[in-house]
Amino acid sequence: MEESDSEKKMEKENLGPRMDPPIGEPEGSLGWVLPNTAMKKKVLLMGKSGSGKTSMRSIILANYIARDTRRLGATILDRLHSLQINSSLSTYSLVDSVGNTKTFDVEHSHVRFLGNLVLNLWDCGGQDTFMENYFTSQRDNIFRNVEVLIYVFDVESRELEKDMHYYQSCLEAILQNSPDAKIFCLVHKMDLVQEDQRDLIFKEREEDLRRLSRPLECSCFRTSIWDETLYKAWSSIVYQLIPNVQQLEMNLRNFAEIIEADEVLLFERATFLVISHYQCKEQRDAHRFEKISNIIKQFKLSCSKLAASFQSMEVRNSNFAAFIDIFTSNTYVMVVMSDPSIPSAATLINIRNARKHFEKLERVDGPKQCLLMR
Amino acid sequence: MVTVGEHPDTYPEVELMSHMVVLFLVFLRSSHTVFHSGYTNLHSHQRTDFFSAYSLRKMANMDSDSRHLLIPEGDHEINPGPMNIQFDSSDIRSKRPFYIEPTNIVSVNDVIQRVSDHASAMNKRIHYYSRLTAPADRALIAPDHVVPAPEECYVYSPLGSAYKLQCYTEGYGKNTSLVTIFMIWNTMLGTSILSIPWGIKQAGFTTGMCVIMLMGLLTLYCCYRVVKSRSMISSVDTTTWEYPDVCRYYFGSFGQWSSLLFSLVSLIGAMIVYWVLMSNFLFNTGKFIFNFIHHINDTDSIPSTNDSNPVICPSARSGGHPDNSSVIFYASNSELQQFEKWWNKSKTVPFYLIGLLLPLLNFKSPSFFSKFNILGTVSVLYLIFLVTWKAIRLGFHLEFHWFMPTEFFVPEIRFQFPQLTGVLTLAFFIHNCIITLLKNNKNQENNVRDLSIAYMLVTLTYLYIGVLVFASFPSPPLSKDCIEQNFLDNFPSSDILSFIARIFLLFQMMTVYPLLGYLARVQLLGHVFGDVYPSIFHVLIFNLFIVGAGVIMACFYPNIGGIIRYSGAACGLAFVFIYPSLIYIISLHQEDRLTWPKVIFHVFIIILGLANLIVQFFM
Repeated sequence: MEESDSEKKMEKENLGPRMDPPIGEPEGSLGWVLPNTAMKKKVLLMGKSGSGKTSMRSIILANYIARDTRRLGATILDRLHSLQINSSLSTYSLVDSVGNTKTFDVEHSHVRFLGNLVLNLWDCGGQDTFMENYFTSQRDNIFRNVEVLIYVFDVESRELEKDMHYYQSCLEAILQNSPDAKIFCLVHKMDLVQEDQRDLIFKEREEDLRRLSRPLECSCFRTSIWDETLYKAWSSIVYQLIPNVQQLEMNLRNFAEIIEADEVLLFERATFLVISHYQCKEQRDAHRFEKISNIIKQFKLSCSKLAASFQSMEVRNSNFAAFIDIFTSNTYVMVVMSDPSIPSAATLINIRNARKHFEKLERVDGPKQCLLMR
Repeated sequence: MVTVGEHPDTYPEVELMSHMVVLFLVFLRSSHTVFHSGYTNLHSHQRTDFFSAYSLRKMANMDSDSRHLLIPEGDHEINPGPMNIQFDSSDIRSKRPFYIEPTNIVSVNDVIQRVSDHASAMNKRIHYYSRLTAPADRALIAPDHVVPAPEECYVYSPLGSAYKLQCYTEGYGKNTSLVTIFMIWNTMLGTSILSIPWGIKQAGFTTGMCVIMLMGLLTLYCCYRVVKSRSMISSVDTTTWEYPDVCRYYFGSFGQWSSLLFSLVSLIGAMIVYWVLMSNFLFNTGKFIFNFIHHINDTDSIPSTNDSNPVICPSARSGGHPDNSSVIFYASNSELQQFEKWWNKSKTVPFYLIGLLLPLLNFKSPSFFSKFNILGTVSVLYLIFLVTWKAIRLGFHLEFHWFMPTEFFVPEIRFQFPQLTGVLTLAFFIHNCIITLLKNNKNQENNVRDLSIAYMLVTLTYLYIGVLVFASFPSPPLSKDCIEQNFLDNFPSSDILSFIARIFLLFQMMTVYPLLGYLARVQLLGHVFGDVYPSIFHVLIFNLFIVGAGVIMACFYPNIGGIIRYSGAACGLAFVFIYPSLIYIISLHQEDRLTWPKVIFHVFIIILGLANLIVQFFM
């Protein structure tokens, strides 16, 4: 089928050169890489309809926002036994020939981040009765195997009670199905609040949410897409999801000191969120992480138009040389050297050698299923 | 290639080793003899994967045969560009990365930061977001409160420098309140100031003062309505709109055409008045110069006061011809008669002006003339000074008779006061350009306050001049009825102070006249032909028409008071009285906020305007 072929192709390309071959597809699926035994770990992005989830995901994952999702549904329809399309949720639920219900995100089903994690968007509350019923009936499916729940609150919402109510019901479902999941709450669209009131309002909300979330622990962030706060919030979230991040940072520091780099950054591969960084002296621009991320994501979008994928970049002038390159299977590294007389080859060799160390680092760490493992 | 040994299996040893290597080489940094020995040392301590940057620096400075070791095997070409193992080495020249000349890069040590980090971060963000959606999708378009204000917008060149766009900030709300008030005052004070004393005379002193203040308040209220009319339109973006655009929005093309017509009436009326006044002043100036050169004492039979501050009563002659034609009897002096024949206020001088002004009218852009704007202010200030001086010299002559005229005085309440209201409608007229003037106010919330202050100042100026001229007019020898429609006419042409005033006003009018012509031309030709300057012939015909009208009026009906009150009442009818009130009523009706008191009040204003115009024809 055309759709699945292109999806497959894009899936391969988006991940860049992989270290291991992809898992074979079981019969009857639509090109979705889904082993029969182990279910993918999910990141749920939930919130009221119109709270900004689709924009957020598009910005973080560098995806085009496709507004029209009905179009895709029609071609799949004739191949399946039953189909329930929920276009505003932008997810599809299919019952395949074997009778398993699979939920996946058709728009951007092939973008994974942090290795194994898949981002699922769900509108929570405020939808019509059809979707309300659907939501309740599929609840267990939705909330199973959740690694992270990110709940988005619109700061301008007039129905705080209802929002909290839906939030609590999501928490109940999490408690039942994935009690180990990490909870993050984003108070979004903060740019619509006046500057002098932002801290106050955020503090209020944070207290309420902490109180409501007990016994689960939730971390709160205030975000706006017109600010550096969104990027920082997601970076913090990703940082907390990496199990051995301290060790990673220590090794990064050593690496940086040895090659005498000004700064070394570690980015998550799909989202270019900064996982960790080391700088040997004060840098002038506090916004540089987000800027680099935006620049590269923009470049990736251009590359994808040519069916190419971004691999590496070198920027050099008389004052500095910067290298961005694939590092491990889930990360990119950026090395900034302020001595331009050092030939590129040397730095690239260093990066290549360091790569092997860091791969080993990931593999060595514990027998339990690590996020950074394949 | 100088490179790797086997990497060890245990990590701590590697780190220790690398530290040792670094320390060792740092110690050796200062000595240049280390070249080869340093290299060999490194080789022998080859237990590490990581090259210290220092050693690489040294290697880069080595002589060429050692350097070759860094080039991938098989390539002996001298490599001009940076080396990158990802490049296909045989094709390295063509794959040289994009190279920016060093002179174009801003030094990182620049103390002055060209673009703030916050701004460049926002710039990148907006760039990136715009790639994520289709152009028609408004989802990720930056809202206004997030984008910096236009005066903070810079064009950021990738080569480092940042430029502020001048046109962005030009005229964009950067005038302080004081400047705005001054601009409104300056624009409103026109030549109708010369007719105010005559208007007071026509209305009676008390009535005149009351009428001035009441008209000031009424026109201020209507002006306030004009300013607010734009903000009551919420559905369309009205930031570039002027009042005619608002009229078009409410009344369709009828509104557009009618506002154009009335605006033209006011402009052409003003231009005719200007022509009459200019011929008047030119005549008097010429006469003064002639008399001064030929030392002629102007002892004519015109009644005047016999002291050092002469005031004349030009119209007090049998037959009451209001214009000052040269029916003056002299001992026959052929030179003087020649001069009188060729320099006649109503017969020849208006034509001389054609030669001066018609070429100026044909200019495509009169921006040169707008530089002389200051002359207007100077002439008004000088008039104030002149009036004060004369008042001091002449003293006050006031008597209050309420209803009956006496030989020298006029009653306090006269029924010809509509003539004053007609003059004042034009005197307080700024409604067609007030929106543009207030747009440049820095603090927009002070617009109404500044407008009120400006109106108050204008009212005070008119009152001051009107009252002083009226009060100081020497009534015992002359009757108050002698006050001319142009009060400068009451001073003989030999009077130095008024001569200076006439010269100022003459120059000022000569610079404003082409501007008025340009405005009229833009409006009429722009709307009729679609092009502001369709061809030299169209423009010439238009100018000839205007000039002709001026000349005809100057020859046959040089009563500026009359011209002012007719044109003022006519264009004021639309812009001052009818349109603002009607638009307000309509917009309230659309918002369902219409109440009966408001309707009655505004209909009353409209009726006043109509009455104002109709009554002019009966006076």
